[in-house]
Amino acid sequence: MKPSAIIGMGNPLMSDEGIGVHVIAQLQRTELADTIDILDLGTSGMRALHELEGRDTVVFVDCAMMGTEPGAIRRFTPDEVETRKLEPRLSLHEGDLLSTIALARRLGSTPRRIVIFGIEPKTIEPGESLSPDLATRLDDYVEAIRQELG
Amino acid sequence: MPTATTKTIDINVRHVTRLEGHGNIVVRAKDGVIEKNEWQVPEAPRFFEAMVRGRSFEDIQTVVSRICGICSVTHSFAALKAIEDAMDIEVSPQTSMLRLLTHYGEQLESHALHVGYLVAPDLLNQKSVVPLATTHADLVKTIVEIHRVGNLVMEKTAGRKTHPIRLLPGGFSMLPSEAELRELMQALEDTLPRLEALAAAIADVSGKLPSFERDTEYVALVNPPTYPFYEGQIGSTDIEALTPVADFESVVNEYVHPQSTAKWCKWHRESYAVGALARYNLNADYLQPAAASAANSLGLTKGVCNPFLNNVAQVVESFQVVERSLQLIDVLLSTGITEERPRVTPKAGVGVGGVEAPRGILFHKYEFDDDGICIRANLCIPTNQNHANIQLDFEAFVPQIIDREQDEVRHLMEMLVRSYDPCISCSTHFLNVEFI
Repeated sequence: MKPSAIIGMGNPLMSDEGIGVHVIAQLQRTELADTIDILDLGTSGMRALHELEGRDTVVFVDCAMMGTEPGAIRRFTPDEVETRKLEPRLSLHEGDLLSTIALARRLGSTPRRIVIFGIEPKTIEPGESLSPDLATRLDDYVEAIRQELG
Repeated sequence: MPTATTKTIDINVRHVTRLEGHGNIVVRAKDGVIEKNEWQVPEAPRFFEAMVRGRSFEDIQTVVSRICGICSVTHSFAALKAIEDAMDIEVSPQTSMLRLLTHYGEQLESHALHVGYLVAPDLLNQKSVVPLATTHADLVKTIVEIHRVGNLVMEKTAGRKTHPIRLLPGGFSMLPSEAELRELMQALEDTLPRLEALAAAIADVSGKLPSFERDTEYVALVNPPTYPFYEGQIGSTDIEALTPVADFESVVNEYVHPQSTAKWCKWHRESYAVGALARYNLNADYLQPAAASAANSLGLTKGVCNPFLNNVAQVVESFQVVERSLQLIDVLLSTGITEERPRVTPKAGVGVGGVEAPRGILFHKYEFDDDGICIRANLCIPTNQNHANIQLDFEAFVPQIIDREQDEVRHLMEMLVRSYDPCISCSTHFLNVEFI
């Protein structure tokens, strides 16, 4: 396990919902320090728990409804947001990255630095293409994340 | 305080996601008379059937592994088995063993998540696993560690913790080293005492599970003398005869129900149940020693029909998959890993794969043309097979609890749905946040 990780979340079969996975695929084609793991965790939110333990820095990139314009990227920490999701906990399948981070914190196993890059979707529906609002900005997203990790 | 005969119950638990996720619990009662009592669900994976049409047989498992973040390995195996069935592809014993090991890893991680993160908070009076990590830190750490090992098994065998990348028609693109298998063996041996701790914790509080029972038909893979997840025929507690997986459409009998856009299923009765309890009821005779012992100490007996005990059966199965994984690794290490690269020549055909997902039997069916391009797909997930059973549970359970306070009725019904862990919104995962 490397000291830092960039973790993409989302489903590339659900158009913009998969932006995190698209960004990870792009990052895997670029040169980054060999102290950084680049991980596609797809839609398995709770598995992120195991990637938080024992690291110094974790950067998440995920589709996020933030009330901004489609394609906008915004950097924030878990403490700067609250979830608007209603989670009656009927199923394991409704997990949320923020609750995974909250659990990791309770267990005392969080990295020194957690950063989330949220990208506002235009479309979430079955399909493998990003909407143009996001597809044309893929390089910007990659650059923003590269800069975060110096 | 209102009495049972005068009070009004109005429950509407909406499982809100932006797209397909509506797993709603709707109950209305007035003056003790139940006016509405429904489990409302949408269709989930049908659009994936359209998405695989026109694709090569080599790409199908990659696509379907994205259907669900919890059951990605199982979806991949259902697809691979269907492809191999359609194209008459034989896999080696080594491939079968490594796939089974991968599959056990997914059962373990999913069961740990379900029991630990969804059910334990109910039994220990916490709203979720997050506060439970403060009130019962050691238990949550134990659960997290079991979950980690399940993930580790998948990572070392299938190349990734989720959405596997090494699984191919006919075999694997890359094999684990013997050193990695030894690492897994140690991690799995260390898991057995953790499972003992989890089972003891559940046994302490399992009396809080409602004693509700409703006789129903249970359906699962059967393959004597094993407790199967990966291969077998379709068995039912209602009949002796087994049905080949290829004939699954005559088992699921999908139909449209007015209160749901998802198709429902029935076989010999108005509903049937799939999942850990179904597997247990059909295959309990073939449990490994520690799993059988756990069943005994947890008071699980073959033939039980309390849906809440599905979670207890998951604990028992966790022992089962760890014990079997250790045996498989032992065989693999004693025979040695042989380098194999699958070579597949596509051909036209129709094939079916049936495997046990953690939450029940899953079927994939595909038709391919001469070039191995998919021209038709049919996916039947365990959650759809359980919908009618959940509804009939509602109809039997609610009259038994309707005189209780509304919050308690709602909580018990949520627990009932949770016991099945329906896959109702697994294809999306996005954040929805407000800046503070």
